[in-house]
This record gives sequence, structure tokens and C-alpha cells, in this order.
Amino acid sequence: MTGARLDIVEVPIAEQLNKTITDLRLGTGQFNGFMEAAWYMGEYITPGFIRSIDDYIADERFPRWDTSWLPPSLRNLHAWGGKWYGTLNDSDGQVLYWRNDILSDSEWQRKYKTETGKEMPFPVKTWQDAIDIARFFHGKNWDNNDQEPDTGMVMHFKVNEQGMFHFMSLSAPFVVMGGDKVDRGTNNYWFDPETMEPLIDQPGHVRALEVLYELSRYGPRAQSAWDLGTAWDWFLRGKAIFVFSWGDVGALLQDTARSKIKGKVGASILPGSYEVYDMNDNRWVKLPEPNVVGNTTGGSWHGVISARSRNPEVVYSFYALMATKPVSLWNVYRGWTGVDPGASIHFLLPEGSADLQGYLGAGWNESDLRFYLKAYHDNFFAKTMLPYLRINGAEEYWRALDQNLSETMIGRLSPKEALSRTAKEWDEITSRRGRDAQRKQYQSSIGYRK
Amino acid sequence: MHRDNRTRLFFLLPSVLWVLVFTLFPLLYSVRLSLFNVKIGSPDEFVGLGNYVHLFQDGRARSSAIITLIFVSCGVAVQMALGMALALLFNRRLPLRGVLRTVMTMPLFATPIAVGFLFFTIFYEEGGLVNGLLRLNVPWLSNPYWALASITIVDVWQWTPFCFLIFLAVLQGIPQDYYEAAMLETKSGWRVFRFITLPVLQPTIVLVLLLRITEAFKVFDIPFTLTTGGPSTATQVLTMYAYRVGMRFFNYGYSSAISVFLFVVVLAVIMTLFKRVRQTYQ
Repeated sequence: MTGARLDIVEVPIAEQLNKTITDLRLGTGQFNGFMEAAWYMGEYITPGFIRSIDDYIADERFPRWDTSWLPPSLRNLHAWGGKWYGTLNDSDGQVLYWRNDILSDSEWQRKYKTETGKEMPFPVKTWQDAIDIARFFHGKNWDNNDQEPDTGMVMHFKVNEQGMFHFMSLSAPFVVMGGDKVDRGTNNYWFDPETMEPLIDQPGHVRALEVLYELSRYGPRAQSAWDLGTAWDWFLRGKAIFVFSWGDVGALLQDTARSKIKGKVGASILPGSYEVYDMNDNRWVKLPEPNVVGNTTGGSWHGVISARSRNPEVVYSFYALMATKPVSLWNVYRGWTGVDPGASIHFLLPEGSADLQGYLGAGWNESDLRFYLKAYHDNFFAKTMLPYLRINGAEEYWRALDQNLSETMIGRLSPKEALSRTAKEWDEITSRRGRDAQRKQYQSSIGYRK
Repeated sequence: MHRDNRTRLFFLLPSVLWVLVFTLFPLLYSVRLSLFNVKIGSPDEFVGLGNYVHLFQDGRARSSAIITLIFVSCGVAVQMALGMALALLFNRRLPLRGVLRTVMTMPLFATPIAVGFLFFTIFYEEGGLVNGLLRLNVPWLSNPYWALASITIVDVWQWTPFCFLIFLAVLQGIPQDYYEAAMLETKSGWRVFRFITLPVLQPTIVLVLLLRITEAFKVFDIPFTLTTGGPSTATQVLTMYAYRVGMRFFNYGYSSAISVFLFVVVLAVIMTLFKRVRQTYQ
């Protein structure tokens, strides 16, 4: 016990960056530290608004947590230029959840074969498999929870919320080629690291948006105006076969006050694609096995310390306490805390060191849990990862993408038109913010070396 | 200085200071910001009218301006017409008139943010209140045209009582003698309205119109909570666009230029209306 008293201010997510940046810019020093989404990092790093915690991590006076608990994919979001800025807290990434009771039911599999003439492609390996299954179940009352027909998929596309995250995660296997290096076409997604030319309108991205649009047709029509919570609720009420979303879904579906599907859900890393677009050679590459790409889509919300803080040690002490194994596990076991698993201490043996009884004691269904943890382990420890956009103005780039995606979802723009417009807007943003500065930051954020 | 003058100055000073600090200074500061490219962490860079030039080339700003104009013109027109109709109705003897009048004015006292969230549930498309009860299948919030109609409906719901209240107050102040004298001339209710009621109401109509136009141009809360400007940018009014550019993308210079532009537009509309009123009376 430190005896310290902490004043914690709750700010809506939409206001958080604005409030902290205003505070830092004006130098009022209202906040000693703040929870940040990983995409804020660029805004904070360039002007030197946050301080490194390297010294504190090594200092034995503070509660102990270990940076090696985090997989490289997540470690990257807490550090910049080799220095640590954030502590372990939340781990965000999107995985595919499905109605295991329905898809593994032999009667539904027989009906699928009768209607389509093919075996049901389950477990799902590619996005095309997901489309085929979603199409078959869409409009049928397969759940029998009510008299209304159910849907194949549910997503959230309310503009200026979090719809663009769906596109990022889904598009990764069409765009990102793995390998040991980082260049325009390898382990890259957003910009050409040499010129800052936006790559968002490349054929891989366009194909992915066509797939996303096709998939969206097997969801409720209203989802183009739905936020995250509304889409989750649809799945939890047993109205959709698939949802691809964050770890919160796994935890929420254990809450029987809200969920009708506890014990009925499977989960896996997001599906892949047999074709990936090579942005180095400008050609499609066919693969013998699907290109499966992990993602850290989302905020992976974690604490950082203001460079203006008068009490950085107190702040770090609090963050470090929250990152210790017992506290972090307490949060992850319960799930409703919003803290999702990602570190090795959260996974079961042999991948990690968490206690099954800890999860079961918090009310988890064992089948749901095992699917869930395997999906997240596979995702965060995937060989190829979707690079994360952490440069100055990430929010602005994403909002431009989000608005154009919304145009596609309501049928005003084709996928190609939407992404061409996005590329144009991104280029304008880059020019306004300073191309050289943006390029340096982008190269640094993805670990690019000429 | 004469003692009386000093006393006057003493009482005037707080309001003068208030206007200077809270109205004039922010306005001038906003104009100043609009002439700069403001970057967090580096000195402001003077760009002259660059932000204004960009404003006229920016497709998203143009789209927001058109949406705002549609919202203001449709919303205010319906509010004025409905407010007038209701005021004429409530100016007669009606059973439970007092109770109904109180109920009618209730939306006026609701917080716009709360109203936005309330209507989110009312317009919920999959079995929400309206679609569920009336067995409709209207895409209230997911279709760009319906979404714009939805925010206009909510604004009409909230602000019609304002027009109604003011019109009713003036109607109840018209001496009964006017009508009695008019009835000797004509039996036509329309002619009585046209030549007695309307001329008396005219200054009030202009006043209400001005107040509503000014407020409607500044609308923010309802689209912000109900649609967040979507789908796509279908309900992104100009204030919301300025907010996004400034407070989410930290482009304070451009955001200020949008705000100054909106201020000038509203000012121009008000000046034009005043000019017309003055011409009418002269």
C-alpha cells in the first residue's frame, strides 16, 4: 500500500484525445497520466507530451510486471523507438465468433449440402467460406428465440464510431504479405514508406472492401447506423451466426442477463485469403494455404504518463499495480472490466500460465473459454500481423476512411470509388501535416529501414 | 467625472466586461486563428486567407453547408407552420386546454442530448417504438434521406412548442373588438385571419423566424447523439464538421474558418430579414 490518493476522471472515448491534447498543449497539467489508445501515440510522441517508463520498469520499488509477458505484436504498441511508454493493461484484436451449436449441428450441415450442393465450409478458413455460410443462414429463423428471421452476420458501421476497424481486420489477408523485412509490399499496409503514397486504394484493399460489402448484405439492414454495442447485442440475443469483434464479446456472452448464447459460441483467428496482392510487384499471388494475418485492431488501452506530470512515480506505481499478474488476471477473468486477454499470463497451459479455475470461478463456460483463449493466442502470436497506424493524425486518416466506407455501405460509392477518394483525402492530410515529418514517423512506427 | 456618470459606469462595467471577455474576445480570437495553420507543438503559421480558400474547395464542407441549409429551411418552415396552427387551435375554447397546453410545451424543456438518445430508441429500426408499433419498415437512421428527415423531425418536435407559445401569447393579446368589427364586414374566417390576425402577428413572426433560424444554424446536439453525422456524411451539419476538424483532427485554423463562415452566413440572413422588415414598415 502506498497511501497515495488518486483522482480518476472518466471521459467519453470520443472526447479523450481532445481533452488530453488540449491539456498538454496549453500546459495546464490537469492530468498526470491518461489511458491511451495505441493510435494516439503519434500525437503524443512527436511533441514530447509523454515520458518513457524505462527507468521505472527496472526500478524494484514499484509493483512488478514483466514486459516479456506481451507478444511482440502488442509490445510494439506500448513502445516507440525502443523505449517503453505504456504498461500492460488491455489487449485489443478482432477474432471471429460463430454459433458453434448451429454450425456443428449435423442437421444444419445436411440442409446446407441439400440447398447449396456443397459441404458446409466449416471450420471457416477463408472469408469466402464465411460469406457462403452467412448467405445460407441469412433470412432463416435458425435460432428459434423469436418469430423473426435471423441473420448471417452482424457488423457496426455507424459513421464516426468504429466501423473502419472491421475493414482493417478483414482486409489484412488480402494485403499484408509476411516476411523478414519491411518494405512497400512486405509487412506493410497503409503507406509507401518511401513516398507516403497512400496504399489504401491498391487492388488488395479494393478486393477486401468488395468482400466486406458482400458480407454486410447478410446482416441486418440497420447495421449501417449501428454502433458497437448495438451490433454486439444483436449477436448476444442469438440473431446472427457470425460477428467479428473484440475480446469483450467473449466475456459479455457469459452474462446470461444479456446473452442467450452462453456455451454456444466458438471463436477463431480471423479467416484468411488464398490470394494476396503483392504491392512490390503489383500482382496477385496465389497461395497453397490461406494467408492468415493477426491483428491488434482497436485501442489496446493502456496508461501513459504526461511529460508535465509532477508525480510521475505515483502514476507509474498505479499503472504497474494494475499490470501485476494477480490484478491483471482479476480483470481478464471478469471481462466486463473491458480488459481483454493478450499477455502470456492470461492464457492457459501450455501457451500461458493462467488458471482455468480462475476463469470458471468468474462464470465462464469452459467450451466458450477454450475457443476464446485459443483464438486470441493464435491472433496475437500470428506469424504475420497487420501493421498498426500510429502516426500523427491517425485518427484523421481513419475518419476519412470511415466516412468513405459508410458511403459504400449505403450504396453511394463502389468499393473502388470509396478507396480512391480515401487515398486522395489521405494524401491531402499528409501534405497538410508535413510529408517529411509524417514519413519519418511512419518509418519509425513500422520499423522500416532503407 | 460627474458622480452620476461614475455610478452609471459602475453598473455598466460588469456587462461591458462580460461582452468583451466572453463574446468579443473569442470572436476576434477565432478570426485570428482562422488566418493561421495551427499545429500542436509547433508555432502557428500565418496562411492569410488560405483556410477560407480551402473551405470553398472542400467537398465535405460544401456537403455540410447544403445539409445545414436543408435542415434549417425545412425544420424552421415546419416549426413555424405547425406552431401557428396549434396556436390558432389553442386560442379557441377547448376542453382541457390548460393541461394540453402544458403537455405541448414539455419538449421545450428537454435536454437536446437526452432527446437525441431518446429518439435513437424510438427510431430503432429492428422493432423500435415507431417501426414496431406501426408495423413499418422505415430505415430511419440507416438511409441518408431518412436520417436527415429524422433529425429534422426531432428538431421540429422540440422547437414547435417555442413557436406555439409565442404565437399564442400574441394571439391572446389581440383585442376582441377587432374581430367583432371585422365580423360586421365578412363571415370568412380566412379573410379575418388574413387582414386582422396576420398583420398583428407579423412582427412576432419575424422575431420567431429570426430566433429559430439563428438557433437552427447552430444545431449540434441532436445529429451528434442521434446519427453522429451519418450514414456517411448525410447528417453532418456545418457545426459538427467544424467540431470534427477542430476538436478531433486538431486543425484549429480551418475549424475557425468554418465557424467564422457560418457566423457570416447567419449574420447575412439576419441582416437581410431585418432589411425586408424595415422596408415593409417604411
